[in-house]
Amino acid sequence: MNPPNTPDDGRRPTAGAGAAPPIVEAAGLTKVFPMPAGPVVALRGVSLRDDSGESIAITGPSGCGKSTLLHLLGCVDTPTEGSLAIEGRDASRLSDFERSRIRLTKIGFVFQRFFLLPMLTAWENVELPQSEAGAPKTARRARTRELLDYVGLADRAGHKPSQLSGGEMQRVAIARALANRPLLLLADEPTGELDEATGEQIVELFDRVNRDGTTLVVVTHNPILANRARRVLPMRSGRLIMESPASSIVAREEGA
Amino acid sequence: MTPLGLAWRSLSREPVHAALGVCGVAAVGALLFNMLLLSRGLLVSFKDLLDSVGFDVRVMASESLPTLGPPVEHATEAARAIRALPEVEEVVPMRIGRAFTASAGRPEIAIILVGCEPRGRGAWRIMSGRNLSRGQKDGGGLPPVEARAPEIVVSKNLAKALGLEPGSRLRLRAAVDGGASAIPAVEFRVMGIGEFAFESTEEATAVTTLSALRLARGGTDEDEADLILVASRKKHGAAAAVAAIQGLRPDLHAFSNEQLVSRFSRTDFSYFRQISFVLSSITLFFAFLLVATLLTVSVNQRFGEVAALRALGFSRRRIVTDLFCESLLLVGAGGILSLPIGAVLARWLDTILRTMPGLPVRLHFFVFEPRVFMLHATLLAFTGLLAAAYPVYLAARLPIAATLRQEVVS
Ligand SMILES: Nc1ncnc2c1ncn2[C@@H]1O[C@H](COP(=O)(O)OP(=O)(O)O)[C@@H](O)[C@H]1O
Ligand SMILES: [Mg+2]
Repeated sequence: MNPPNTPDDGRRPTAGAGAAPPIVEAAGLTKVFPMPAGPVVALRGVSLRDDSGESIAITGPSGCGKSTLLHLLGCVDTPTEGSLAIEGRDASRLSDFERSRIRLTKIGFVFQRFFLLPMLTAWENVELPQSEAGAPKTARRARTRELLDYVGLADRAGHKPSQLSGGEMQRVAIARALANRPLLLLADEPTGELDEATGEQIVELFDRVNRDGTTLVVVTHNPILANRARRVLPMRSGRLIMESPASSIVAREEGA
Repeated sequence: MTPLGLAWRSLSREPVHAALGVCGVAAVGALLFNMLLLSRGLLVSFKDLLDSVGFDVRVMASESLPTLGPPVEHATEAARAIRALPEVEEVVPMRIGRAFTASAGRPEIAIILVGCEPRGRGAWRIMSGRNLSRGQKDGGGLPPVEARAPEIVVSKNLAKALGLEPGSRLRLRAAVDGGASAIPAVEFRVMGIGEFAFESTEEATAVTTLSALRLARGGTDEDEADLILVASRKKHGAAAAVAAIQGLRPDLHAFSNEQLVSRFSRTDFSYFRQISFVLSSITLFFAFLLVATLLTVSVNQRFGEVAALRALGFSRRRIVTDLFCESLLLVGAGGILSLPIGAVLARWLDTILRTMPGLPVRLHFFVFEPRVFMLHATLLAFTGLLAAAYPVYLAARLPIAATLRQEVVS
């Protein structure tokens, strides 16, 4: 079975090669939402570094800032303070179009509510980001077939989202997120709308995606999904608190 | 998937909405099409009518319409002088008078009796029988023409009213100064039945030679013309002929067909242009409201998807293009559908307007010109783009993160 990012595709060195910049590196991210009733501070100086091939789970109570952090990492929002670098490039210096381009080609998004286009088939949903990225038709066809096969939905290619179950929709959404071979896959509560058994299939799939070389950041309440991650980052009130000991930033930095 | 393809799929997910939108645009587009046909229809039709006679310059003694102003005096001499101009190909003086039928035992019918050489044939078209003979003056071995009953071509209306056919006899009494006179009636031979370009449905027209008309008017030696038809030479054109005639006879008034049409467009026909402008604008405003409402509602329902597409890397420009394409598809489909509807509607309205009394039969209010297609398409496309502006603005300004969050929270 073809992985989403084959190690031999030669696009980037694998984890631990040393010289390459981290895929994302956030320093002192703060996000304040000015509201009529007073500013809401969603993030308070979050620093995070995500190297190639890693998997991170961000957990924490509702409203602690997980989605906000994910949106900043995914370049769909800008921090009030702090800096973010994508592959060493300062994200604050990028135009809206360049940020779109980075999201299109380097970052994949998986949403709690799937957000598949309801009028398109599974195949078309997976093909859409590829045509937006300008991939030639034959390459798109091969990649779409490969991905639907990868998520186990080769036989549902012609089905529309309304004809798929929640788990199947999320698998199509994961295939879509992987369409342009992103370096980083971001997922916000990807099992939030699914029952436990279905959620577990999705957990398996994320695990496989990560093993096959895609760096992963998942925001989740799901302990099974969180525990599969190499690093678990609990959050409280806009701050990352201590990491799970197995893979703390401190431990990594000491080892480096 | 191209923006147009995606727009098509987006519209087809709410087929009833889309169909309603297309029908609305089709109805509005049909009205717009009609207004555009109306705005210049009468002018185009009038120009066609003038051109159909085959003469491109008209000479009169004043600026008034023929018969409303004084006639051209010494018409034969004026015609000869004009014909001698190098810019001029052909000259036909015309006299337009009135007469009453004088058939025993039948009510009198007032008719328009035109005196003209057969060369003025463009003003009428023979439907049955034949035209006035050429060269009646040099009859050769025949008796002098005035000794026989003079020839006449009658209009369909007149033929129908009196049951005339080629070979019939028709007695006419010329009217002088608008009323019946003591001049004796003259009997004419009906040569043919014709269609007269400028005849209206309730008029009856007949044409005979100038000399026969003179005879019918009691043989007075008047030499006047209400109108001199002039055909310019191709290589010179109407404008040059007009200039030459004005140079030769500053006392006369020469007009090319274009000049007559533009005179009318400035005065008599401008109502239609104004009405058409006002109604077109209102029509376009309705199309704008319709499409803008449909698209705004549709975009509002799709905020989550739009935000997701943006998060997946679709540029703002791409989202905007998709929405403009949706608008253009709605307006395009409606616009195409509006053409046959508009054509049928125009026909119907034209029939209604043409029952107005006193109109030449061949004059139309709704006339198709190729430029109407272009204008119709351009106006609708522009309206479509304008209508998409607000929904496009909403989608382009959509805050991605906040929208994604709202979609989950709500
Ligand atoms: N667009 C926004 N406008 C105002 N407040 C916001 C917005 N997004 C997030 N917040 C606030 O920021 C805090 C963190 O939100 P969020 O990142 O969505 O939390 P989580 O994903 O951990 O549940 C919450 O208090 C939330 O109300
Ligand atoms: Mg959240």
